[in-house]
Amino acid sequence: MIHVDQISKSFGEVQAVKNVSLTAEDGKITALLGANGAGKTTSMRMIYALITPETGHVTVDGIDSKNDPVAARARMGVLPDARGLYKRLTARENIAYFGRLQGMSESDIQRRADELIERLGMSKFADRQTDGFSQGQRVKVAIARALVHDPQNILLDEPTNGLDVMSTRAIRAFLREEKARGKCILFSSHVMQEVSAVCDEITVVDAGVVRAVGSEAQLLEMSGQHNLEDAFVHLVTQGGDA
Amino acid sequence: MITKAFKTVFFKEVMENLRDKRTLMSSVIMGSFMGPLFALGMISMTAQMGKEKAEKQLELPVINMQFAQNLEKHLLSNDVKILTLDKTPEAAIKDKDHDVVLEIDESFSDAMQAGTPAKVKVYYDASAKGAANVSVRRVKALINGYSSSIGAMRLQLRGVSPNLMNVVKIENHDQATSQSKGAQLMLFLPYFLIMGLFVGSMYLAIDTTAGEKERKSLEPLFLNPVSRTSILSGKLAATVSFGLLTLILTLIAFKLTLPFYPMKKLGMSLTLGLDDLLVMLVVLIPLAVLAGSVQTIIAAFSKSFREAQTYVSVVMFIPLIPSMLLMFMPIKEKLWMYAIPILNQNIVINSIIRGEQIGAAAIALTVLATLILGLALAWFAVRLYNKESMLFTD
Repeated sequence: MIHVDQISKSFGEVQAVKNVSLTAEDGKITALLGANGAGKTTSMRMIYALITPETGHVTVDGIDSKNDPVAARARMGVLPDARGLYKRLTARENIAYFGRLQGMSESDIQRRADELIERLGMSKFADRQTDGFSQGQRVKVAIARALVHDPQNILLDEPTNGLDVMSTRAIRAFLREEKARGKCILFSSHVMQEVSAVCDEITVVDAGVVRAVGSEAQLLEMSGQHNLEDAFVHLVTQGGDA
Repeated sequence: MITKAFKTVFFKEVMENLRDKRTLMSSVIMGSFMGPLFALGMISMTAQMGKEKAEKQLELPVINMQFAQNLEKHLLSNDVKILTLDKTPEAAIKDKDHDVVLEIDESFSDAMQAGTPAKVKVYYDASAKGAANVSVRRVKALINGYSSSIGAMRLQLRGVSPNLMNVVKIENHDQATSQSKGAQLMLFLPYFLIMGLFVGSMYLAIDTTAGEKERKSLEPLFLNPVSRTSILSGKLAATVSFGLLTLILTLIAFKLTLPFYPMKKLGMSLTLGLDDLLVMLVVLIPLAVLAGSVQTIIAAFSKSFREAQTYVSVVMFIPLIPSMLLMFMPIKEKLWMYAIPILNQNIVINSIIRGEQIGAAAIALTVLATLILGLALAWFAVRLYNKESMLFTD
């Protein structure tokens, strides 16, 4: 479970994120929905303890990520916006490298890598060097290495960005399986259909500020619209600047 | 601090780099073998050319040889092949047809008769490359020899001892040993060793930092529950290892090519035992830490691999400065000089090549001074990534 309380961050004069709060519960998929440049990636980076928030707190399973970022990170598996692989290592070696950095034993790494390769449908390319992998293959490897330690909390920054239908479906199915296993999943996206298809809870952000929180049905009701896209546009423009 | 994360990162960086055969060839192998082989080639060629010019029959174009028949006999008896010239002597030198041209002045025989200095003109280009000056020296020596033998005869005819002309006699006592003469040829060695070290660690210093940032794998790497200090220490250790590997290969390459240097031909000798090479290795090891750290720091401030490569290449010229200074300026070694990294390695290596004894204090100071600066820079390089602005390229 991830609890975010009033976090802010500015870069120079630009206030990228302002007092963002949200809760992502176990056994649910929570979305951070916002347009490009709304502050999603910066919020996510603060939540997964890569950068420190200027105000507020992030707790991951009760661990304050500012006080103990290493322990907090151990509870999370993160697919960040940056998802470069080591192209002279095979897919399996990429996964194993992160497993070792997570402090796992070689036998655990082996077992877990086999499981993820099977579940994400990577067996055809698992033992090839990742140089020249397709976008979909790369994202699958990146997800597998992020989740090699089977973390309770799964964070993904625009996971299906640029993927084809088959890869997108495979990843959605994988996330639903993880949800069924009681995991806490938080992902950011700007794709309405995606959020609509997989998410239980939605936090709408715009210009670094939370505009609305609720399930899809609640957001539709709140805005008086019939689909999520219209609801989103209504919610982010009701501030009066459209 | 040897943590499990340190070892994991170190072995991964080493393995990944070993798989990159092209980079391995161009940095480690070229960095170590190019220098010694290039030097061997240059020195062999120069020695060969000098020898040929000195021993080959001297071919000398002479203008107006008919005015100096006696000199002609002298030249012929010294195995000179006299040629005629179909253009002006200036043009012959300029077009590099000949190294040297001799012109007998029209007044030559009159002056000889009168016992006044008879004039000849020697045309040459003092700035000509290669062994041209060998021919010039041979011609001047032949004419000087002729001049003094005629002079001595004239004095003897008048009943005067030619020895009266020799007021002061110089007796040469050259203190150069054949080893120290050999060392003159090896002035480049410290630079090659230091250069090899910098070339060897350069690729990894950039690839593991700026390269990893550019390929967008640094952020996921830092999301693992280990300290950034452990990760960066592991990367730096891998970088330094490749510098050391190149250094050791350079020393081996040098040792292997040493017997092929034409030392005897040049009247020189150069012996370097295994113990000499070990001392060189000992004073250069701490420099590997310094080189890797400096390169990592520079790469950390660069936005891309290419940018880092440009800056790091420029920095490679810094070790050239002390090497150049020592090549052209005679410097009397003082103890404080051993406290300046790179200058101290240059001095120690030069002394070893010259076969001089180096004090233990000098070696200890060299190692310590370099190691302290190297570790300080390493600490800085490792800490650098705790700054948030270092993490992203955007």
